Amino acid sequence: MEIFQLEYITLITGGLLVLTGLWGIISQKNLIRMVIGFSLFDTGLHVIMISIGYIRNGTAPILDKAVDKVNAAGQIVDPLPQALVLTAIVIGLGVTALMLAYVVRLHKEKGSLNITNFKDLKW
Amino acid sequence: MSIIAKLLWVLLGLFIILNWGLLMGALIRKIVARVGKRVGIRWYQPWLSLPMLYSTRSSISHGVMYYLGPVFRLSGGVGIFLFMPLIVGSPYFDNFSFAGDVVVILYFQFFGMLGMALGAGEGGHPYSTIGISRGLAQFTTVEVPLTLAVISLAIQYDTLSIKEIAAAQQGGITNWTLFTNPLATAAALLSMLGIFRHAPFNLVQAPNEIPIGPPTEYHGTYLGVLRTNGAILHVIEAVLFMNLFFGGAGNWIELIIKTFFIYFFTVFIGVVFPRFRIEQSVVWFLKVPLVLGILAILFMAI
Amino acid sequence: MVTPIFIIATGLGLAFALGFIPKKHINLTGILSFLGLAFMTFISGQWLFSYLGNNELSQFIFTAGARPPFAIALKMGQAEAMITLLINVVGLLSAVFLYDKLKQIGRNAFIIYLVLIMALNVIVMTRDLFNLFVFLEITSIATAGLMLLDSNLKTLSAGFKYLLATSLIAGVFLIGTIFIYSFGGSLFIDDLTAIGMAPLKAVSVAVFLLMISIILELKPFPANGWGLDVYQTANPGISSVISGGTATAMLFALYKIMPLSTMQSYDILIWVGLITFLGSNLMGLKQSDARRLLGYSSIGQIGLMISIIGMKPYIQFDIQIILLAILITHLMAKAGFFWLTGIVGNTDISKWGMIRKHPEMLFLMGTFVFALIGFPPFPSFFGKWQLIMELSSSGHFLWIGLILLGSLIEAVYLFRWLGYAIKKETATQSSIDIRPHKTLPTIIFAVFLYGVGYLASFWFPMGGSINWLPLAFIAILFALDFLPAWIKNIISIAGLSYYAYQIIPEQEGLYLIFAFIFLIGGILTLIPGFTNKGKRIGFYPVAMMMFVGMGMLIEAQSMLEFFFGWELMTAGSYFLIIRGHRSMPHALSYMLFSLGGAYLIFAAFGIAFAGSGNFLMSGLSTMGGLGGIAYTLLAIGFMTKTASLGLHIWLPGAHAEAESDVSPMVSAILLKAGVLGLIITFMAMGGPNNEYTTLPYVLGWLGAITALVGNLAAAFQEDAKRLLAYSSIGQLGYILFALAMMTHLGWLTGIGYSLSHFAYKAILFMGIGAVVLRLKTHNMFEMGGMIKKMPFTFIAVLMGIITLAGIPPLIGFAGKWLFYNAIIEKGWYFQGTIIFFAGIIAFLYCFRILYAVFLGQLKDEHRNVKEAPIWYLIPQYLLLLSIMIFSAKPEWIFQPLGSMLAPIFPQGQLVWNEGGTAFSDIGYWNGSWVMYIIGIMFVMIFAWLFIQNRKPKKVKQFNIVYAGEKPERPETTHMAYNMYSGYNKALGFITANGITTFWNWISEHVTAMGDSLRKIYSGNGQTYVFHIILFVIIVYLFSNGGF
Repeated sequence: MEIFQLEYITLITGGLLVLTGLWGIISQKNLIRMVIGFSLFDTGLHVIMISIGYIRNGTAPILDKAVDKVNAAGQIVDPLPQALVLTAIVIGLGVTALMLAYVVRLHKEKGSLNITNFKDLKW
Repeated sequence: MSIIAKLLWVLLGLFIILNWGLLMGALIRKIVARVGKRVGIRWYQPWLSLPMLYSTRSSISHGVMYYLGPVFRLSGGVGIFLFMPLIVGSPYFDNFSFAGDVVVILYFQFFGMLGMALGAGEGGHPYSTIGISRGLAQFTTVEVPLTLAVISLAIQYDTLSIKEIAAAQQGGITNWTLFTNPLATAAALLSMLGIFRHAPFNLVQAPNEIPIGPPTEYHGTYLGVLRTNGAILHVIEAVLFMNLFFGGAGNWIELIIKTFFIYFFTVFIGVVFPRFRIEQSVVWFLKVPLVLGILAILFMAI
Repeated sequence: MVTPIFIIATGLGLAFALGFIPKKHINLTGILSFLGLAFMTFISGQWLFSYLGNNELSQFIFTAGARPPFAIALKMGQAEAMITLLINVVGLLSAVFLYDKLKQIGRNAFIIYLVLIMALNVIVMTRDLFNLFVFLEITSIATAGLMLLDSNLKTLSAGFKYLLATSLIAGVFLIGTIFIYSFGGSLFIDDLTAIGMAPLKAVSVAVFLLMISIILELKPFPANGWGLDVYQTANPGISSVISGGTATAMLFALYKIMPLSTMQSYDILIWVGLITFLGSNLMGLKQSDARRLLGYSSIGQIGLMISIIGMKPYIQFDIQIILLAILITHLMAKAGFFWLTGIVGNTDISKWGMIRKHPEMLFLMGTFVFALIGFPPFPSFFGKWQLIMELSSSGHFLWIGLILLGSLIEAVYLFRWLGYAIKKETATQSSIDIRPHKTLPTIIFAVFLYGVGYLASFWFPMGGSINWLPLAFIAILFALDFLPAWIKNIISIAGLSYYAYQIIPEQEGLYLIFAFIFLIGGILTLIPGFTNKGKRIGFYPVAMMMFVGMGMLIEAQSMLEFFFGWELMTAGSYFLIIRGHRSMPHALSYMLFSLGGAYLIFAAFGIAFAGSGNFLMSGLSTMGGLGGIAYTLLAIGFMTKTASLGLHIWLPGAHAEAESDVSPMVSAILLKAGVLGLIITFMAMGGPNNEYTTLPYVLGWLGAITALVGNLAAAFQEDAKRLLAYSSIGQLGYILFALAMMTHLGWLTGIGYSLSHFAYKAILFMGIGAVVLRLKTHNMFEMGGMIKKMPFTFIAVLMGIITLAGIPPLIGFAGKWLFYNAIIEKGWYFQGTIIFFAGIIAFLYCFRILYAVFLGQLKDEHRNVKEAPIWYLIPQYLLLLSIMIFSAKPEWIFQPLGSMLAPIFPQGQLVWNEGGTAFSDIGYWNGSWVMYIIGIMFVMIFAWLFIQNRKPKKVKQFNIVYAGEKPERPETTHMAYNMYSGYNKALGFITANGITTFWNWISEHVTAMGDSLRKIYSGNGQTYVFHIILFVIIVYLFSNGGF
């Protein structure tokens, strides 16, 4: 069946990861768990990106003997998403790190990791 | 007619009106006294009182406006006289009515009232102010039915000129506004009760409760001036109603008879009825008289 | 030309390089950062300059020397140059503002700041979707980092929420990007647009995700709780970058990706934007924290701009120019305002009274408030003008209504705040932080706002015809505000005289009359100002603003000029009114009614533009099918100025609490602007026999009832100036009634009344104002006996009152006489009777004010009061002289007036004979004769009394008939308090405060609505994330009508 092809499996896995991450952000009260939720969400995105660039039976995007230079575009997997995903991972890392730094500071200020305790600002 | 002749005729008219006013005042007081089973004054009493007042020596002043108060008051009375045509069709007794129509007269009434009010105000007596505030308050609604009646007349005769309105009523009693426009006449007559301020609308002067205030503060010469004005004003207001609603006057006898009865009408009501409080009288004019006035206009406009 | 890649190179390179500078050389770090920011500013400025004047094609820069998709493409076109310039200027100035803070934190702060500004530049320039994603993330990381400049619990929790929300939003953007790439095979926006991707459902979803995530970055209502928290807690310097820089960049990003999407998406923008604009402002109503309030305002304004982007398909005019005008105003005013909150320090808006110790700071605040609301001469005025005109000509009246409603609500809280700053007493003694590096950026943006406003006027049709010379004069007056009051008074009078000399000779007809009232009246009412000692800071510029605004109404050829003048006048009069001691609430309600009215006029102008296709005032007479609505809007709009019943509640307080010489300006003169407006409206409707008969009929009744209620309420006032103020309501009711008759006599009455009301109300307010000045009280029962102390004032007031009351022989009677004739001729008998009834009620207050102030008992504490200052008497007697002349010769004024009206109303003119008698169809009146007769008679009777009673004995005050006693105190015998109690008992119900209650009810409920709406901002970061997800889903469902 089509659906069990690799690209679909990765796509669906990615989607599930994204949803899991979202669920984690919304439902978990613990700040660290929320950051983990975000991390899952981010990872899900990365997996989706990879699945987009995949071409079935394609080879690595390196121009060598395995690839016919003229028909290269049809034979190799798209290199761009791979490049993009690297960038995205780096950025995701940065964001996660900053979030965690915030969590540490928040915990220092209030001695709590429960998001519902940080409602000083409203309306 | 030269201006000098005109002035002489005007003065003659004024003289007649003044004397008739004095006499009428005396007669009315006599009648009221008789109703109350008293003897009353002698009919010539006013002619004695006026010179007495004018020659009274002790006289005081609270200031310029106080002094001018009676001047304003008498100017108001004489002014209305001056703008009022007296005898229908007579070039000698139409005074200065060429200077303005009925609107001038309606608004010139306030000249004397305001001046007198200010004069009395400077006197500083609290009762003066009480009287004035009541008078002004009552007058606001008194004028409403009268305004409606005048508008109704203006529609009926297509003019605001008193001379023309009076002239249009000539040729028989059925031509009087009284019969051609009874609603307007009724509204105006009710409103007249407030203008002459006899009971039930005499809380303004409240003769029993407020014996002081202007009548006492203004004594001597001032009172003389005020009395003079009273005599003129009563007659001339009656002349206004006569001209507007009762066919005007073809001659002096007619004028005297008509004004007497017009004025007597208010006195008669006054003798019969008790007095309203001010908030009652204010509202009273906005009831039946107002409805009559509105009907009068509807009647004429449709 | 420096290639724009250097913007990135400078920002990034410097950020790296700064890391190598040792920590102790923090000043070097700072200087290098400024140089870097300045260089970035220079680059965009230079590009913008190169685009000015020539239509050079936009430059594409392909990094790494390859075309997309193999490399990232940047674009530097005219728009990009403009936007990056704006961002860099905000960045540079904000860095100046933040200097001590950044220095305190150290070099890392400088680094992050540089990265943020650079990232914003890239967001504007990049044409690559993934690159856009990267820099969205960098922006949010940098912002979250800069949040920590002020590190406390509040900033921490706000920063965390912000980070969470923006990362999620960026994730949404990333998903969209990936799928776009998967279907379109490129990340280059221009290629993608060129492909014109097939309307695949999947593609449209992807584009939707891109669009919605940029919208989310712009903090749409209600998914914006995290944004508000950031605005509230970040250092004001950072908030200004977020509001001015980040939002600008995001707006541009949105504008940039819109070509990818379908037409349907534009509608999404419109509705999301409008709802945000309305909702955000509504929730701001109850906010008392200065920065959060600015946050609400920012979000609202950005919402408006989102909707404008969405309106692109519906607008013929270049949308970029409209957007730019509004964007620049918002950016500068909001950034400046945020800086100002940093300068003031206190974030409770009701404590902002401390700012007025520094008038120049107050001036800045006023500038920002007026700019944000869209007053002239700021760019947003022109932007909004063109926007409304365009929307109107494409028939989108609902949008116009929402935009104007939102602006009005925004005005409520901004002007309340401004009122607090100008007037509210504050207990705190703390001073504000006016170090130059904080004030300088703020001042620069304020100055820019005026400058750009001038430039912006030329971007729009008809804007070039605005006469800027008088505005320059006002600016000079502001600059000269350090001079003593009397010098400024002379300058103002001279300036106004010159303006009058320029304008008046060119006018004819009715405009001449109003030019006279506005400008000559202005000169006369300025004269009392000579009594002021000291500097009178801020008075003259705003007074001139009002008079110049009114002059512009006269000069206006186009609707734009008229509206410009109208708003200028409103602004000036607001500042004049708020100068009074207890004027804060009254000035606010004045402003709100005025603005509400102005917006109605605005909408009507829009309809006129749609109907006629041009901006000229003459366009008002070709409305097209919507004429009835447009004229109604105009009439209601102008009636807010004439204070007709229902719209009058602002007037008594505003006029009564104003300063003694301001009351005549706003009462005798300013109200006539409304009358002029009504006249213009009625003339546009097409003179006597027009098709719109209902409107004048309704207005006639309204005028009559206004007259009745106004006069009756005046009679019951204890405050002398309030009495006069209510009397103005009544008198303006007469004028409305008279004009609504739409006949020759009616207009003769109305315009005659306008003139005489100008004269006598100026006299009365100056006279009573002088009394108030001397006695230091407004209450009439505390006055009394002033005739002895201020005889000249008394005479003037007496004559004014006689004119007002319409007693012959003075000119006021002409109005009454004309009324009788006009009403009978028109057949409006019952309305007319109400008018006459009102006229007689006027006697009550006429007597009351004369008696209670000047007559009656002099109070002990007033025994040493002096006559009014000569500067008050001069204009009064000049006006009195003119009243006397025209009373004796009414034909001198009414004959020319009649011939001015003849072209409009040829039927039913008065006929004047040689002797000066006026004949109408039914009546006649000779003013001269009445004057002579009464005058001569009065003198004769006076002489008679004088002969009889030559030397009356002057008696003392208490020598009255008082049962042989002497009144203990003057207070007990001064019958002034509750004077018409009986009358009040009888008819007082008519003046019951139903209308005030009604408006209070409205304001309470609107505020309560905003208050309950904002409860969705629970403060919980998770809730905000949930809002975001829900927002995406709901907008998607709405735009697709289901899944």
